[in-house]
Amino acid sequence: MTSLALSGGTRKSRFWPRVRIAAGLLACVIFLFPVFWMVLSSFKAQRDIFTVPPTLFFTPTLQHYFEYMQRADISRRMINTIIVAAGSGIISIVAGGMAGYALARIRLRGAGTIGVLILLSRGVPPIALAVPMFLVARSLGVTDQHITLILAYCTFLIPYVMWLMRGFFLALPKELEESAMIDGCSRMGAFFKIIVPISMPGILSTLIFSMILAWEELLFALVLTNRYASTIPVAIAGIAGDTVNGANWGALTAVGTFTVLPVVVFALLVQKWLIQGLADGATKG
Amino acid sequence: MSTVAIRNVHKSYGALPVIHCVSLDISDGEFVALVGPSGCGKSTLLRMIAGLEDITAGDIVIADRVVNDIAPKDRDIAMVFQNYALYPHMNVRQNMGFALRQRKISRDEIDRRVMNAARILGLEQLLDRKPRALSGGQRQRVAMGRAIVRNPNVFLFDEPLSNLDAKLRVQMRSELKELHQRLGVTTVYVTHDQIEAMTLADRVVVMNGGIVEQMGPPLELYDKPMSLFVAAFIGSPPMNFLEGSLNTPNALILDDGTEVALPAPVAGNGRTTIGVRPEHLFLTDAGWPAVVSVIEPTGSETQITARLGDYVIRVLIRGRTDVQPGETIHVSAKPADIHVFDTASGRRRETVTT
Ligand SMILES: Nc1ncnc2c1ncn2[C@@H]1O[C@H](COP(=O)(O)OP(=O)(O)OP(=O)(O)O)[C@@H](O)[C@H]1O
Ligand SMILES: [Mg+2]
Repeated sequence: MTSLALSGGTRKSRFWPRVRIAAGLLACVIFLFPVFWMVLSSFKAQRDIFTVPPTLFFTPTLQHYFEYMQRADISRRMINTIIVAAGSGIISIVAGGMAGYALARIRLRGAGTIGVLILLSRGVPPIALAVPMFLVARSLGVTDQHITLILAYCTFLIPYVMWLMRGFFLALPKELEESAMIDGCSRMGAFFKIIVPISMPGILSTLIFSMILAWEELLFALVLTNRYASTIPVAIAGIAGDTVNGANWGALTAVGTFTVLPVVVFALLVQKWLIQGLADGATKG
Repeated sequence: MSTVAIRNVHKSYGALPVIHCVSLDISDGEFVALVGPSGCGKSTLLRMIAGLEDITAGDIVIADRVVNDIAPKDRDIAMVFQNYALYPHMNVRQNMGFALRQRKISRDEIDRRVMNAARILGLEQLLDRKPRALSGGQRQRVAMGRAIVRNPNVFLFDEPLSNLDAKLRVQMRSELKELHQRLGVTTVYVTHDQIEAMTLADRVVVMNGGIVEQMGPPLELYDKPMSLFVAAFIGSPPMNFLEGSLNTPNALILDDGTEVALPAPVAGNGRTTIGVRPEHLFLTDAGWPAVVSVIEPTGSETQITARLGDYVIRVLIRGRTDVQPGETIHVSAKPADIHVFDTASGRRRETVTT
């Protein structure tokens, strides 16, 4: 029974770690509760949603999912959201990744200033950009188009990707590219043959992070799209803000759950990649 | 035939000059070591030869071709970096074959050359491993293998052994020397370790603060250092120095008044520093008096640390001694083993040999 004796002897030193764990759990519960409630409500029949006191026991139903997923505008918006998130994610990882590499490696007068300026552009509140963008899009006749939203998202995704990737590249020893350049590559060749494969964990996680940002973006989507290219967050806002019929909570929670699901899955994936990338010691020769 | 010539090369980073007019001619097959304290510009010079740094002024010529504006990949050089810079996503075979693949050499030929290099370096068993599954010494070998499969005009090494432990470093040092004798490729080797430079190189270039202090065969630097800097830098344990004024050509008066008799008259006057290597001092009955402070026997030789006036000197004698700490000993050196320098300029002054 040595373990008992031990735990008796160390009771005092175990007290604070336990308090910390308890506090952490409490914080998780507080933050996750709304999500839990949303998912729970999405499986409730309309009449169960508003029972007082709220019930945890009810006959689950997929009614809301079937009902609203079958509506043309929801599934089309889902497809729109996928197109826009993937499009802007891919464009910004390519452009931002290469820009980040240039900032990390090319010795150029004023490179630092350029980098900071681009980053500062993130400080402009999106609302200040949304209306001018709408005006530009209208005069070009491209409102309510996927490409418009994709380009609009790139304006905030590229600086973000650029800085993240710059950090990744700075952590790689520059001798790797130098060695490749001596071995017969141009700078571009060294980037694509050595740096890109090594940075894959970082590139993929950044790509997914930016796709998540695009996925859940509301403001630009609201201003720049109408029906054809409109996205899921717009739909959610529409349901929640339906002043004529009142918010349809069944629909709202079902669509909400459906929207959050890929974000959660991808976030977990990214986390795994990131940790794996670090554990691999990609930077160690 | 691949000679390397460095002609009046300067390098500045912005307004900060780091290399001041270095010239150096390296003949075909020669092994040249660049040695000097940290920050003296060794790596910068090597990287300019590789094409990884721009040349601010002057020319670098490889195999009779000015390469100032030629990309690293077109200079036909191979370089081994201090951190090896192995490509982490490629296994040993791919790492070694990478340069050949870039040059569109046939698969068979690549396999043949990689196998050949692997055999020379004893890497046959490791060809399918990734770099992270290798020990430091094995990574170092792979880095060398990557250089030798290229069969380049020039090998460039930047402190390739400094990440290894002491024992492995000595072993790799002899392997490197053997490799050079076998392949005969012109080599420029940067190190801050003077022993490494002395043992490996045909010619040692001692750099200090962006200039070349002295260059020559290792033993010439040892026997005839042209400046105080080189005298202090080359040799281990380091040379003993005594500083004083020369009132007569035959005796140096130290600042505390101790008179150090010189076995041969010395030209010049004013502040003078004399240097004698520990291994060139010997015990006599009538020499410079010094009080023993520490005795360190290693078996084959004994190092005696003693105080001579205000100076601490080291004496290295073969065999053993029954001298005790606290005892006064008398040491002396042969005239040819005493190096005389002008204190102010640090330049060597010739002894008058009569
Ligand atoms: N990119 C750079 N920008 C500005 N100064 C630099 C740069 N690279 C090197 N220097 C400076 O140039 C000088 C020479 O550097 P170098 O790396 O050649 O030294 P080294 O002799 O190789 O030293 P070590 O033994 O520490 O490697 C140093 O004073 C260093 O601070
Ligand atoms: Mg260096």
